Amino acid sequence: MTRLGSSFALAVLVAWCVQGVLGAVLAPLAAGLLGAAAGAAAMALTRRVLVGGAVALLAPFGVMLPSLALGAMAGRLGLDVVGFSQLELGVFWVGYTVFLLSAFGILREDLYRLGYAPVPVGIMVVVICLYAALSANWFLAAVVVLGQFFWVMKWGSSNWFDYVLHVLLWPVVVFALIF
Amino acid sequence: MDIAVVLCLILAGVSLCLSVLAWRRDTPLSWRFALPEPVEAEGDPRFDTVLDYTPEAGQAHSPGIVVEQDAFEILWFEGSAEAQSDVDIYAARFERTEGAWDNARTGPRLTRAELNAAMDPPQIVVTLGNTIENEAKAGGLWATVASIGGWAMASIVDVPEQGGAARKLNLSPFLGRSNLVKSPMVAYADGSMGLPAYFEMGSTYGVLARFDAQGRVRDTRRMSGMGKPIQPMIVPLSETRAVAFLRDFNLDMKLLLSRTEDGGQSWSRVEALEVFNPSSPVAALVLGEGRILLAMNDLEDAPNDLRLVLSEDETQSWRELTRFRGEGALRYPMLRRLSSGEIVLSYSKGNKQGVVVHVFNQAWVEA
Repeated sequence: MTRLGSSFALAVLVAWCVQGVLGAVLAPLAAGLLGAAAGAAAMALTRRVLVGGAVALLAPFGVMLPSLALGAMAGRLGLDVVGFSQLELGVFWVGYTVFLLSAFGILREDLYRLGYAPVPVGIMVVVICLYAALSANWFLAAVVVLGQFFWVMKWGSSNWFDYVLHVLLWPVVVFALIF
Repeated sequence: MDIAVVLCLILAGVSLCLSVLAWRRDTPLSWRFALPEPVEAEGDPRFDTVLDYTPEAGQAHSPGIVVEQDAFEILWFEGSAEAQSDVDIYAARFERTEGAWDNARTGPRLTRAELNAAMDPPQIVVTLGNTIENEAKAGGLWATVASIGGWAMASIVDVPEQGGAARKLNLSPFLGRSNLVKSPMVAYADGSMGLPAYFEMGSTYGVLARFDAQGRVRDTRRMSGMGKPIQPMIVPLSETRAVAFLRDFNLDMKLLLSRTEDGGQSWSRVEALEVFNPSSPVAALVLGEGRILLAMNDLEDAPNDLRLVLSEDETQSWRELTRFRGEGALRYPMLRRLSSGEIVLSYSKGNKQGVVVHVFNQAWVEA
Protein backbone atom coordinates (compact mmCIF):
# COMPACT_ATOMS: atom_id res chain seq x y z
CA MET A 1 0.00 0.00 0.00
CA THR A 2 2.89 2.34 0.77
CA ARG A 3 4.37 1.62 -2.64
CA LEU A 4 1.06 2.13 -4.48
CA GLY A 5 0.11 5.21 -2.48
CA SER A 6 3.47 6.91 -3.01
CA SER A 7 3.44 6.15 -6.73
CA PHE A 8 -0.08 7.53 -7.08
CA ALA A 9 0.74 10.65 -5.06
CA LEU A 10 3.84 11.34 -7.12
CA ALA A 11 1.86 10.80 -10.33
CA VAL A 12 -0.73 13.36 -9.18
CA LEU A 13 1.97 15.92 -8.34
CA VAL A 14 3.71 15.38 -11.68
CA ALA A 15 0.39 15.71 -13.51
CA TRP A 16 -0.43 18.88 -11.55
CA CYS A 17 2.95 20.47 -12.38
CA VAL A 18 2.80 19.51 -16.07
CA GLN A 19 -0.79 20.71 -16.37
CA GLY A 20 0.16 23.98 -14.70
CA VAL A 21 3.10 24.64 -17.01
CA LEU A 22 1.41 23.54 -20.24
CA GLY A 23 -1.78 25.34 -19.25
CA ALA A 24 -0.05 28.60 -20.13
CA VAL A 25 0.14 27.63 -23.81
CA LEU A 26 -2.47 24.89 -24.31
CA ALA A 27 -6.20 24.55 -23.74
CA PRO A 28 -7.05 23.28 -20.19
CA LEU A 29 -8.24 19.88 -21.42
CA ALA A 30 -5.13 19.28 -23.56
CA ALA A 31 -2.86 20.38 -20.70
CA GLY A 32 -4.78 18.11 -18.33
CA LEU A 33 -4.45 15.10 -20.63
CA LEU A 34 -0.73 15.65 -21.12
CA GLY A 35 -0.35 16.08 -17.35
CA ALA A 36 -2.17 12.80 -16.78
CA ALA A 37 0.13 11.10 -19.30
CA ALA A 38 3.21 12.47 -17.50
CA GLY A 39 1.81 11.27 -14.17
CA ALA A 40 1.20 7.80 -15.58
CA ALA A 41 4.77 7.72 -16.89
CA ALA A 42 6.06 8.62 -13.42
CA MET A 43 4.08 5.72 -11.94
CA ALA A 44 5.59 3.33 -14.48
CA LEU A 45 9.18 4.40 -13.82
CA THR A 46 9.40 4.02 -10.04
CA ARG A 47 12.80 2.34 -10.21
CA ARG A 48 14.41 5.04 -12.37
CA VAL A 49 16.80 7.47 -10.70
CA LEU A 50 14.72 10.59 -11.31
CA VAL A 51 11.49 9.10 -9.97
CA GLY A 52 13.27 7.21 -7.18
CA GLY A 53 15.03 10.43 -6.23
CA ALA A 54 11.73 12.33 -6.13
CA VAL A 55 10.17 9.68 -3.89
CA ALA A 56 13.26 9.64 -1.67
CA LEU A 57 13.06 13.40 -1.34
CA LEU A 58 9.32 13.93 -0.96
CA ALA A 59 7.80 10.78 0.61
CA PRO A 60 5.72 10.40 2.67
CA PHE A 61 3.36 12.42 0.48
CA GLY A 62 0.31 12.02 2.69
CA VAL A 63 -3.25 12.79 1.66
CA MET A 64 -3.49 16.58 1.76
CA LEU A 65 -0.85 17.47 -0.84
CA PRO A 66 -2.11 15.16 -3.62
CA SER A 67 -5.72 16.06 -2.74
CA LEU A 68 -4.97 19.77 -3.12
CA ALA A 69 -3.20 19.02 -6.42
CA LEU A 70 -6.22 17.06 -7.66
CA GLY A 71 -8.49 19.90 -6.57
CA ALA A 72 -6.35 22.46 -8.39
CA MET A 73 -6.37 20.32 -11.53
CA ALA A 74 -10.13 19.98 -11.34
CA GLY A 75 -10.45 23.72 -10.91
CA ARG A 76 -8.37 24.36 -14.02
CA LEU A 77 -10.74 22.07 -15.91
CA GLY A 78 -13.65 24.24 -14.82
CA LEU A 79 -15.07 22.05 -12.05
CA ASP A 80 -16.36 23.52 -8.78
CA VAL A 81 -13.87 22.93 -5.95
CA VAL A 82 -13.94 23.96 -2.31
CA GLY A 83 -11.30 26.56 -1.56
CA PHE A 84 -9.79 28.23 1.49
CA SER A 85 -10.05 31.90 2.40
CA GLN A 86 -6.98 34.11 2.68
CA LEU A 87 -7.56 34.28 6.44
CA GLU A 88 -7.67 30.49 6.71
CA LEU A 89 -4.48 30.17 4.67
CA GLY A 90 -2.76 32.82 6.77
CA VAL A 91 -3.72 31.15 10.06
CA PHE A 92 -2.62 27.77 8.70
CA TRP A 93 0.71 29.20 7.53
CA VAL A 94 1.47 30.71 10.94
CA GLY A 95 0.51 27.51 12.73
CA TYR A 96 2.48 25.34 10.34
CA THR A 97 5.54 27.57 10.70
CA VAL A 98 5.38 27.09 14.49
CA PHE A 99 5.00 23.34 13.93
CA LEU A 100 8.12 23.23 11.72
CA LEU A 101 10.10 25.34 14.20
CA SER A 102 9.17 22.75 16.82
CA ALA A 103 10.35 19.96 14.52
CA PHE A 104 13.69 21.69 14.06
CA GLY A 105 14.18 21.90 17.80
CA ILE A 106 13.98 25.69 17.83
CA LEU A 107 10.97 25.34 20.11
CA ARG A 108 11.54 22.92 22.98
CA GLU A 109 8.05 21.40 22.78
CA ASP A 110 7.75 18.54 20.29
CA LEU A 111 4.38 18.96 18.57
CA TYR A 112 4.99 16.23 15.96
CA ARG A 113 4.97 13.48 18.60
CA LEU A 114 1.26 14.15 19.22
CA GLY A 115 0.65 12.54 15.83
CA TYR A 116 1.69 9.08 17.07
CA ALA A 117 -1.00 8.77 19.78
CA PRO A 118 -4.68 7.85 19.24
CA VAL A 119 -6.26 10.30 21.70
CA PRO A 120 -4.56 13.54 20.51
CA VAL A 121 -5.10 12.52 16.89
CA GLY A 122 -8.78 11.76 17.55
CA ILE A 123 -9.28 15.13 19.23
CA MET A 124 -7.51 17.03 16.44
CA VAL A 125 -9.52 15.31 13.69
CA VAL A 126 -12.88 15.92 15.37
CA VAL A 127 -12.06 19.57 16.05
CA ILE A 128 -11.07 20.06 12.40
CA CYS A 129 -14.27 18.30 11.26
CA LEU A 130 -16.37 20.63 13.44
CA TYR A 131 -14.57 23.65 12.02
CA ALA A 132 -15.13 22.21 8.53
CA ALA A 133 -18.84 21.88 9.34
CA LEU A 134 -19.00 25.51 10.50
CA SER A 135 -17.30 26.67 7.30
CA ALA A 136 -19.11 24.10 5.10
CA ASN A 137 -15.74 22.82 3.83
CA TRP A 138 -16.31 19.10 3.24
CA PHE A 139 -12.94 18.84 1.46
CA LEU A 140 -11.03 19.66 4.65
CA ALA A 141 -13.03 17.15 6.71
CA ALA A 142 -12.64 14.46 4.04
CA VAL A 143 -8.85 14.89 3.89
CA VAL A 144 -8.25 14.75 7.65
CA VAL A 145 -10.54 11.74 8.11
CA LEU A 146 -9.04 9.95 5.11
CA GLY A 147 -5.63 10.63 6.65
CA GLN A 148 -6.85 9.20 9.94
CA PHE A 149 -8.22 6.14 8.13
CA PHE A 150 -4.85 5.44 6.43
CA TRP A 151 -3.10 6.04 9.76
CA VAL A 152 -5.36 3.63 11.66
CA MET A 153 -4.97 1.03 8.89
CA LYS A 154 -1.18 1.50 9.09
CA TRP A 155 -0.95 2.15 5.34
CA GLY A 156 2.03 4.45 5.48
CA SER A 157 3.52 6.67 8.15
CA SER A 158 2.97 5.92 11.84
CA ASN A 159 2.40 9.66 12.41
CA TRP A 160 -0.95 11.21 11.43
CA PHE A 161 0.63 14.58 10.69
CA ASP A 162 2.44 12.99 7.74
CA TYR A 163 -0.95 12.38 6.08
CA VAL A 164 -2.37 15.87 6.48
CA LEU A 165 0.75 18.03 6.24
CA HIS A 166 3.69 18.18 3.86
CA VAL A 167 6.56 20.61 3.90
CA LEU A 168 5.76 21.62 0.30
CA LEU A 169 2.55 23.15 1.66
CA TRP A 170 4.63 25.90 3.26
CA PRO A 171 5.82 27.48 -0.05
CA VAL A 172 2.55 26.59 -1.79
CA VAL A 173 0.57 28.57 0.81
CA VAL A 174 3.01 31.49 0.58
CA PHE A 175 2.46 31.48 -3.19
CA ALA A 176 -1.33 31.34 -2.73
CA LEU A 177 -1.26 34.19 -0.20
CA ILE A 178 0.82 36.46 -2.44
CA PHE A 179 -0.83 35.68 -5.78
CA MET B 1 -29.04 21.97 6.57
CA ASP B 2 -26.37 22.38 3.90
CA ILE B 3 -25.27 19.04 2.47
CA ALA B 4 -21.63 20.01 3.03
CA VAL B 5 -22.32 20.52 6.74
CA VAL B 6 -24.08 17.16 6.96
CA LEU B 7 -21.15 15.50 5.23
CA CYS B 8 -18.68 17.10 7.68
CA LEU B 9 -20.73 15.87 10.65
CA ILE B 10 -20.89 12.35 9.19
CA LEU B 11 -17.11 12.45 8.74
CA ALA B 12 -16.73 13.57 12.35
CA GLY B 13 -18.71 10.48 13.35
CA VAL B 14 -16.51 8.28 11.19
CA SER B 15 -13.50 9.86 12.85
CA LEU B 16 -14.85 9.02 16.31
CA CYS B 17 -15.24 5.37 15.25
CA LEU B 18 -11.69 5.34 13.89
CA SER B 19 -10.43 6.88 17.13
CA VAL B 20 -12.11 4.18 19.20
CA LEU B 21 -10.57 1.51 16.95
CA ALA B 22 -7.10 3.09 17.22
CA TRP B 23 -7.42 3.51 20.99
CA ARG B 24 -8.52 -0.12 21.50
CA ARG B 25 -5.65 -1.46 19.37
CA ASP B 26 -3.06 0.73 21.06
CA THR B 27 -0.90 -0.85 23.73
CA PRO B 28 0.43 1.68 26.25
CA LEU B 29 4.22 1.81 26.37
CA SER B 30 6.07 0.60 29.43
CA TRP B 31 8.55 3.16 30.73
CA ARG B 32 10.54 0.86 33.01
CA PHE B 33 14.06 -0.02 31.92
CA ALA B 34 15.28 -3.61 31.98
CA LEU B 35 18.48 -3.97 33.98
CA PRO B 36 20.95 -6.72 33.11
CA GLU B 37 21.74 -9.41 35.61
CA PRO B 38 25.27 -9.00 36.98
CA VAL B 39 27.74 -11.43 35.39
CA GLU B 40 29.98 -13.34 37.78
CA ALA B 41 33.69 -13.31 37.03
CA GLU B 42 34.75 -16.82 36.07
CA GLY B 43 38.10 -18.23 35.01
CA ASP B 44 41.25 -16.34 34.23
CA PRO B 45 41.21 -12.76 32.99
CA ARG B 46 41.12 -12.73 29.19
CA PHE B 47 41.56 -9.86 26.77
CA ASP B 48 41.94 -10.66 23.08
CA THR B 49 42.16 -8.55 19.95
CA VAL B 50 40.07 -10.46 17.44
CA LEU B 51 40.12 -7.98 14.55
CA ASP B 52 42.48 -5.27 13.36
CA TYR B 53 41.10 -4.44 9.93
CA THR B 54 42.40 -1.98 7.38
CA PRO B 55 40.71 -1.75 3.98
CA GLU B 56 42.84 -1.99 0.87
CA ALA B 57 41.76 1.55 -0.02
CA GLY B 58 39.49 4.22 1.35
CA GLN B 59 37.86 4.38 4.75
CA ALA B 60 36.25 1.94 7.18
CA HIS B 61 34.46 3.62 10.07
CA SER B 62 31.78 3.49 12.77
CA PRO B 63 31.71 -0.17 13.78
CA GLY B 64 28.50 -1.56 15.23
CA ILE B 65 28.07 -4.88 17.01
CA VAL B 66 25.38 -7.47 16.24
CA VAL B 67 24.99 -10.08 18.98
CA GLU B 68 23.74 -13.58 18.16
CA GLN B 69 23.62 -16.80 20.13
CA ASP B 70 27.22 -18.09 20.14
CA ALA B 71 28.29 -15.61 17.46
CA PHE B 72 28.62 -11.91 16.77
CA GLU B 73 29.12 -9.61 13.84
CA ILE B 74 30.94 -6.31 13.51
CA LEU B 75 29.39 -3.94 10.96
CA TRP B 76 31.03 -0.82 9.55
CA PHE B 77 30.67 1.44 6.56
CA GLU B 78 33.40 1.26 3.95
CA GLY B 79 34.13 3.12 0.71
CA SER B 80 36.42 5.72 -0.81
CA ALA B 81 35.36 8.20 1.90
CA GLU B 82 32.48 8.88 4.26
CA ALA B 83 29.23 9.97 2.58
CA GLN B 84 30.46 9.03 -0.90
CA SER B 85 28.31 7.12 -3.36
CA ASP B 86 30.48 3.98 -3.18
CA VAL B 87 29.97 3.28 0.52
CA ASP B 88 28.45 -0.06 1.56
CA ILE B 89 28.10 -1.82 4.90
CA TYR B 90 30.76 -4.46 5.51
CA ALA B 91 30.86 -7.06 8.26
CA ALA B 92 33.19 -9.46 10.01
CA ARG B 93 31.43 -12.48 11.49
CA PHE B 94 32.86 -14.27 14.51
CA GLU B 95 32.00 -17.78 15.66
CA ARG B 96 33.41 -19.68 18.59
CA THR B 97 35.80 -22.42 17.54
CA GLU B 98 37.62 -24.52 20.14
CA GLY B 99 37.16 -21.88 22.82
CA ALA B 100 38.34 -18.94 20.71
CA TRP B 101 36.52 -16.41 18.56
CA ASP B 102 37.21 -17.18 14.93
CA ASN B 103 36.64 -14.67 12.13
CA ALA B 104 34.41 -16.83 9.94
CA ARG B 105 34.14 -14.30 7.10
CA THR B 106 34.62 -10.66 6.25
CA GLY B 107 32.96 -8.84 3.37
CA PRO B 108 30.00 -6.79 2.19
CA ARG B 109 26.91 -7.23 4.41
CA LEU B 110 24.47 -4.63 3.07
CA THR B 111 24.99 -2.86 -0.22
CA ARG B 112 23.29 0.23 -1.60
CA ALA B 113 21.97 -1.88 -4.50
CA GLU B 114 20.37 -4.38 -2.11
CA LEU B 115 18.79 -1.62 -0.08
CA ASN B 116 17.65 0.13 -3.27
CA ALA B 117 15.78 -3.02 -4.23
CA ALA B 118 14.28 -3.46 -0.75
CA MET B 119 13.05 0.09 -0.12
CA ASP B 120 9.28 0.51 0.19
CA PRO B 121 8.24 2.86 -1.33
CA PRO B 122 10.90 2.45 -4.07
CA GLN B 123 13.55 5.13 -3.84
CA ILE B 124 17.23 5.59 -4.44
CA VAL B 125 19.92 5.04 -1.81
CA VAL B 126 23.02 7.11 -2.45
CA THR B 127 25.17 6.33 0.56
CA LEU B 128 25.13 4.49 3.88
CA GLY B 129 26.37 5.51 7.30
CA ASN B 130 26.20 4.37 10.93
CA THR B 131 24.47 0.99 11.07
CA ILE B 132 23.49 -0.88 14.22
CA GLU B 133 21.55 -3.97 15.21
CA ASN B 134 17.77 -3.76 15.50
CA GLU B 135 17.64 -5.79 18.69
CA ALA B 136 13.85 -5.97 18.56
CA LYS B 137 13.81 -7.89 15.28
CA ALA B 138 15.85 -11.04 14.54
CA GLY B 139 18.31 -10.30 11.75
CA GLY B 140 17.21 -6.68 11.59
CA LEU B 141 19.38 -3.58 11.29
CA TRP B 142 18.94 0.17 11.62
CA ALA B 143 20.84 1.87 8.82
CA THR B 144 21.57 5.56 8.38
CA VAL B 145 20.73 6.26 4.75
CA ALA B 146 21.19 9.34 2.61
CA SER B 147 19.23 9.46 -0.63
CA ILE B 148 19.95 13.09 -1.33
CA GLY B 149 22.27 15.67 0.27
CA GLY B 150 24.59 14.97 3.19
CA TRP B 151 24.02 13.55 6.67
CA ALA B 152 21.65 16.40 7.51
CA MET B 153 19.28 14.89 4.93
CA ALA B 154 19.72 11.33 6.20
CA SER B 155 16.98 9.04 7.46
CA ILE B 156 16.95 5.91 9.59
CA VAL B 157 15.89 2.83 7.67
CA ASP B 158 14.47 -0.32 9.26
CA VAL B 159 16.32 -3.05 7.34
CA PRO B 160 14.74 -6.47 7.84
CA GLU B 161 16.29 -9.83 7.15
CA GLN B 162 16.93 -10.58 3.50
CA GLY B 163 13.73 -10.54 1.45
CA GLY B 164 11.71 -8.09 3.54
CA ALA B 165 10.74 -4.53 2.76
CA ALA B 166 12.99 -1.78 4.14
CA ARG B 167 11.21 1.34 5.40
CA LYS B 168 12.27 4.75 6.63
CA LEU B 169 11.29 5.57 10.18
CA ASN B 170 8.77 8.38 10.56
CA LEU B 171 10.63 10.61 12.99
CA SER B 172 10.30 14.07 11.46
CA PRO B 173 7.71 16.10 9.56
CA PHE B 174 10.44 17.63 7.42
CA LEU B 175 10.49 15.06 4.59
CA GLY B 176 11.24 12.34 7.15
CA ARG B 177 14.62 13.91 7.87
CA SER B 178 17.14 14.44 9.54
CA ASN B 179 17.62 11.44 11.81
CA LEU B 180 20.59 9.17 12.37
CA VAL B 181 21.62 6.32 14.68
CA LYS B 182 24.87 5.47 16.41
CA SER B 183 24.35 3.82 19.82
CA PRO B 184 22.80 0.45 20.71
CA MET B 185 19.14 0.15 21.68
CA VAL B 186 17.97 0.34 25.27
CA ALA B 187 15.89 -2.50 26.73
CA TYR B 188 12.61 -2.06 28.61
CA ALA B 189 11.16 -4.40 31.24
CA ASP B 190 8.23 -5.43 29.02
CA GLY B 191 10.65 -6.78 26.40
CA SER B 192 10.34 -3.80 24.07
CA MET B 193 13.29 -1.68 22.98
CA GLY B 194 14.00 2.03 22.63
CA LEU B 195 16.20 3.45 19.90
CA PRO B 196 18.57 6.31 20.70
CA ALA B 197 18.70 8.54 17.62
CA TYR B 198 19.52 12.15 16.88
CA PHE B 199 18.45 15.06 14.71
CA GLU B 200 21.13 17.17 13.04
CA MET B 201 19.79 19.68 10.55
CA GLY B 202 21.03 23.05 11.74
CA SER B 203 19.93 22.60 15.32
CA THR B 204 20.53 19.22 16.95
CA TYR B 205 18.98 17.11 19.69
CA GLY B 206 18.97 13.55 20.92
CA VAL B 207 15.88 11.39 20.50
CA LEU B 208 14.60 8.29 22.23
CA ALA B 209 12.24 6.52 19.82
CA ARG B 210 9.78 3.90 21.06
CA PHE B 211 7.93 1.40 18.89
CA ASP B 212 4.63 -0.45 18.76
CA ALA B 213 4.33 -4.22 18.37
CA GLN B 214 4.73 -3.91 14.58
CA GLY B 215 7.97 -1.96 14.93
CA ARG B 216 6.41 1.37 13.88
CA VAL B 217 7.37 4.52 15.75
CA ARG B 218 4.85 5.01 18.59
CA ASP B 219 6.49 7.84 20.53
CA THR B 220 9.60 9.99 20.73
CA ARG B 221 11.21 11.95 23.54
CA ARG B 222 13.88 14.60 23.14
CA MET B 223 17.17 15.44 24.81
CA SER B 224 17.99 19.06 24.10
CA GLY B 225 19.77 21.93 25.76
CA MET B 226 23.37 23.08 25.92
CA GLY B 227 25.66 22.84 22.91
CA LYS B 228 24.73 20.74 19.91
CA PRO B 229 23.91 17.35 21.43
CA ILE B 230 24.00 14.30 19.15
CA GLN B 231 24.63 10.54 19.37
CA PRO B 232 23.00 9.81 22.74
CA MET B 233 24.33 6.77 24.60
CA ILE B 234 21.64 5.81 27.11
CA VAL B 235 22.72 4.07 30.33
CA PRO B 236 19.92 2.76 32.59
CA LEU B 237 20.79 3.02 36.30
CA SER B 238 17.52 1.67 37.68
CA GLU B 239 14.05 0.84 36.33
CA THR B 240 13.28 4.55 36.05
CA ARG B 241 16.61 6.38 36.18
CA ALA B 242 19.09 6.67 33.35
CA VAL B 243 21.74 8.99 32.03
CA ALA B 244 22.43 9.76 28.39
CA PHE B 245 25.94 10.75 27.39
CA LEU B 246 25.91 12.91 24.27
CA ARG B 247 28.56 14.16 21.90
CA ASP B 248 28.72 17.92 21.43
CA PHE B 249 28.70 18.64 17.68
CA ASN B 250 30.13 22.04 18.60
CA LEU B 251 33.82 22.01 19.38
CA ASP B 252 33.38 23.06 23.01
CA MET B 253 35.40 19.99 24.02
CA LYS B 254 33.04 18.83 26.76
CA LEU B 255 31.02 15.67 27.13
CA LEU B 256 27.29 16.34 27.43
CA LEU B 257 24.80 14.64 29.74
CA SER B 258 21.04 14.41 30.18
CA ARG B 259 19.14 12.49 32.90
CA THR B 260 15.75 10.87 33.18
CA GLU B 261 13.89 9.91 36.36
CA ASP B 262 10.80 8.46 34.66
CA GLY B 263 12.07 5.75 32.35
CA GLY B 264 12.87 8.10 29.47
CA GLN B 265 9.54 9.95 29.29
CA SER B 266 11.26 13.24 30.08
CA TRP B 267 14.90 14.22 29.95
CA SER B 268 16.67 16.98 31.83
CA ARG B 269 18.13 19.88 29.90
CA VAL B 270 21.40 18.71 28.34
CA GLU B 271 24.38 20.01 30.31
CA ALA B 272 28.13 19.92 29.88
CA LEU B 273 30.16 17.70 32.19
CA GLU B 274 33.60 18.65 33.40
CA VAL B 275 34.91 15.84 31.22
CA PHE B 276 37.03 16.60 28.18
CA ASN B 277 35.66 15.31 24.89
CA PRO B 278 36.92 16.15 21.38
CA SER B 279 33.40 15.98 19.84
CA SER B 280 33.52 12.22 19.90
CA PRO B 281 30.79 9.70 20.82
CA VAL B 282 31.16 7.49 23.87
CA ALA B 283 30.17 3.86 24.39
CA ALA B 284 28.79 2.46 27.63
CA LEU B 285 27.72 -0.89 29.02
CA VAL B 286 25.78 -1.49 32.21
CA LEU B 287 27.40 -4.27 34.24
CA GLY B 288 24.79 -4.30 37.02
CA GLU B 289 24.88 -3.25 40.69
CA GLY B 290 25.78 0.35 39.78
CA ARG B 291 28.77 -0.58 37.68
CA ILE B 292 29.19 0.98 34.24
CA LEU B 293 31.87 0.42 31.65
CA LEU B 294 32.65 3.39 29.44
CA ALA B 295 34.88 3.84 26.40
CA MET B 296 35.68 7.47 25.63
CA ASN B 297 38.26 9.98 24.41
CA ASP B 298 38.58 12.05 27.58
CA LEU B 299 42.26 12.97 27.69
CA GLU B 300 42.87 16.60 26.84
CA ASP B 301 46.57 16.00 26.20
CA ALA B 302 45.86 12.88 24.12
CA PRO B 303 42.41 13.32 22.49
CA ASN B 304 43.05 10.55 19.99
CA ASP B 305 43.58 7.94 22.70
CA LEU B 306 40.61 5.86 23.76
CA ARG B 307 40.23 4.96 27.42
CA LEU B 308 38.21 2.10 28.86
CA VAL B 309 37.06 3.15 32.31
CA LEU B 310 34.87 1.60 35.00
CA SER B 311 32.52 3.32 37.41
CA GLU B 312 31.30 1.39 40.44
CA ASP B 313 29.16 4.22 41.82
CA GLU B 314 26.76 5.10 38.98
CA THR B 315 29.11 7.49 37.12
CA GLN B 316 30.30 9.43 40.19
CA SER B 317 33.91 8.27 39.81
CA TRP B 318 35.90 6.35 37.25
CA ARG B 319 39.03 4.20 37.21
CA GLU B 320 40.99 3.36 34.11
CA LEU B 321 41.07 -0.25 32.96
CA THR B 322 43.19 0.32 29.90
CA ARG B 323 44.16 2.94 27.36
CA PHE B 324 44.33 2.35 23.62
CA ARG B 325 46.79 4.29 21.51
CA GLY B 326 47.38 4.23 17.78
CA GLU B 327 48.23 6.31 14.77
CA GLY B 328 45.50 8.86 14.27
CA ALA B 329 42.26 9.08 16.19
CA LEU B 330 40.56 6.09 17.81
CA ARG B 331 36.87 6.95 17.63
CA TYR B 332 33.28 5.70 17.55
CA PRO B 333 33.50 2.99 20.22
CA MET B 334 30.71 0.50 20.83
CA LEU B 335 30.36 -1.94 23.73
CA ARG B 336 28.03 -4.96 23.82
CA ARG B 337 27.66 -8.00 26.06
CA LEU B 338 27.76 -11.39 24.29
CA SER B 339 25.54 -14.35 25.15
CA SER B 340 28.64 -16.01 26.65
CA GLY B 341 28.98 -13.14 29.16
CA GLU B 342 32.06 -11.77 27.43
CA ILE B 343 32.21 -8.12 26.38
CA VAL B 344 33.02 -6.83 22.88
CA LEU B 345 34.59 -3.43 22.32
CA SER B 346 34.88 -2.10 18.78
CA TYR B 347 36.14 1.25 17.51
CA SER B 348 37.56 2.82 14.38
CA LYS B 349 41.24 3.57 14.12
CA GLY B 350 43.56 5.96 12.33
CA ASN B 351 41.03 8.66 11.44
CA LYS B 352 38.45 6.28 9.96
CA GLN B 353 41.08 4.10 8.31
CA GLY B 354 40.03 0.80 9.85
CA VAL B 355 38.31 -1.12 12.61
CA VAL B 356 39.61 -2.76 15.78
CA VAL B 357 37.70 -5.29 17.89
CA HIS B 358 38.58 -6.62 21.34
CA VAL B 359 36.83 -9.33 23.37
CA PHE B 360 37.36 -9.59 27.12
CA ASN B 361 35.71 -11.25 30.07
CA GLN B 362 34.32 -10.13 33.42
CA ALA B 363 37.39 -11.46 35.22
CA TRP B 364 39.56 -9.07 33.18
CA VAL B 365 37.29 -6.14 34.13
CA GLU B 366 37.57 -7.02 37.81
CA ALA B 367 41.27 -7.87 37.79
